[in-house]
Amino acid sequence: MDKRLKSSEREAFRLIEEMLQLMESRGLVELEMEQQGLRIRLKKASSGPAPQLVEYVAGTPHPAASPGGKPLEEGHRVVIKSPMVGTFYRAAAPDAPPFVEIGQDLEVGQIVCIIEAMKLMNEIKSETAGRIAEVLVENGAPVEFGQPLFSVEPR
Amino acid sequence: MFSKILIANRGEIAVRVIRACKEMGIRTVAIYSEADRNSLHVRLADEAICVGGPKSEQSYLNIPAIVSAAEITDVDGIHPGYGFLSQNAHFAEICESCNITFIGPTAACIRLMGDKLAAKDLMRKTGIPIIPGSMSAIRNKEDALKTARRVQYPVIVKAAAGGGGRGMRVCHNDVRLISALMTCQAEAEASFGNSDVFVEKYLSEPRHIEFQILADQQGRVIHLGERDCTIQRRHQKLIEESPSPAVDPKLRRKMGDLAVRGAKAAGYVSAGTIEFLLDKDGSFYFIEMNTRIQVEHPVTEMVTGIDLIKEQIRVAAGESLTVKQDDVSLHGWAIECRVNAEDPSNGFTPSPGRITLYHEPGGRGVRVDTHVFSGYDVPPYYDSLLAKLITVGETRHDAIRVMQRALDEYLIEPLRTTIPLHKQIFSDPTFWRGQIATDYIDRQLGENE
Repeated sequence: MDKRLKSSEREAFRLIEEMLQLMESRGLVELEMEQQGLRIRLKKASSGPAPQLVEYVAGTPHPAASPGGKPLEEGHRVVIKSPMVGTFYRAAAPDAPPFVEIGQDLEVGQIVCIIEAMKLMNEIKSETAGRIAEVLVENGAPVEFGQPLFSVEPR
Repeated sequence: MFSKILIANRGEIAVRVIRACKEMGIRTVAIYSEADRNSLHVRLADEAICVGGPKSEQSYLNIPAIVSAAEITDVDGIHPGYGFLSQNAHFAEICESCNITFIGPTAACIRLMGDKLAAKDLMRKTGIPIIPGSMSAIRNKEDALKTARRVQYPVIVKAAAGGGGRGMRVCHNDVRLISALMTCQAEAEASFGNSDVFVEKYLSEPRHIEFQILADQQGRVIHLGERDCTIQRRHQKLIEESPSPAVDPKLRRKMGDLAVRGAKAAGYVSAGTIEFLLDKDGSFYFIEMNTRIQVEHPVTEMVTGIDLIKEQIRVAAGESLTVKQDDVSLHGWAIECRVNAEDPSNGFTPSPGRITLYHEPGGRGVRVDTHVFSGYDVPPYYDSLLAKLITVGETRHDAIRVMQRALDEYLIEPLRTTIPLHKQIFSDPTFWRGQIATDYIDRQLGENE
């Protein structure tokens, strides 16, 4: 590998090689991967076996100020992440019913939980519509920034 | 004594504090940004809490997130390190109100010393020489010009709420002074949220001499000798040593006693540093007090044998200092080089990225304080300090020889670092003779362009 290449270009080449191997071993026709602001799509031309580089988007800075509530694809489920550090509560009060249960329908803007930080109760709202698939944190447990709270089957 | 401490910092100082805590049997909590997930301080701590996104404002300066992290991990102390929130009086107050001990001085003391004009005024009243200049914020051009007339050019315009070498301009005449006023005020407003500036006499070729202070809650204040931090680039320290080649025992006693007097007058507790400028004629002047542990604290540790972080923790827990002034003596000579991820041959452009090969120097007389390792990704969001390389010797020349040997062994591939610049400085006869002033680096670089 040419040492004079910038590290970002070396990263891109490494990723392309990995993708090529993956395409061959799995018999894929098209594969797109994104890694740390670098997005690459490889697509096999209909006649030949060798995939062609279709798109190369490099160097986009890691999205800053991304609140933990922003959803992330994991398989086909969307994960609701904590936007702050605090204590996770499933209900508004100890004797109140939980905001959401597994299997429950979810609308955008619906409150899913409370995170208590410095004596303030913060209502966490969903940015996805769908159905609650999993509850990932126990009631009353501490959570950190970015910690997965719920997984949602998007509609 | 504390049972659990949260370290509100990152990088090498977080590692340093965690090490001290471990040796004292205190449990540790690290906080980290998303960019520091694989950082060494996170790996070494007993618990770690992600507090926010990669930018400092989202994470290491994010007071609600940090205090929240302290609450959910149930710590009884917070060590702020240096930089970030270490001199943030508001943060110290919030800790106090949450019943978590802030390991440092009181919020009131931080506030007092953070105001450069108020600090100068206090020192003046305490009988400590201060640099001639304005004693209050400059109101207008006439004010500035009158001050310059009185103390004589050259003068320096400084931000009252400033630090870190920002918001400063040296002026040699009226025209420059007037334009510098406006620039500094704008910079000060942008960096510190306070546009107050003042004008001081600018000493040509001074040495930067600072005294390490330790004070406990029982009112005991001692000094641990001086550090010479004259080698700087753009007011950022690059090399520090203890003792100073320009300070003899008599001067040390004189300056040290005044430093202690100043710290007492400020009601200081914990570790702190009083900074002086030493002129060629032997006169010295107080410039500021740093109310935190400093980057260069290891050189003092190496010549006095005292662990400054452990003393800070003990003092914060209400214990007395473990040493008295009479017990303090400086043995041998210690020098520290700051190894930064910057390219000295290319205007010191930052050089973040992955370290593919890291090999530290070792052997007798070498100490390395760092957070980096082979395979570590140096993030672009924070300061460029990679490591502190400290060497000790019986004499200054011994320490220099160990440093030269150690610099030759040091590998941090493939990053551009300040190691080549350090090698250049340490083979310079002027440096060997100890005949340096604060413009040394600029002149060095100028000559070699």
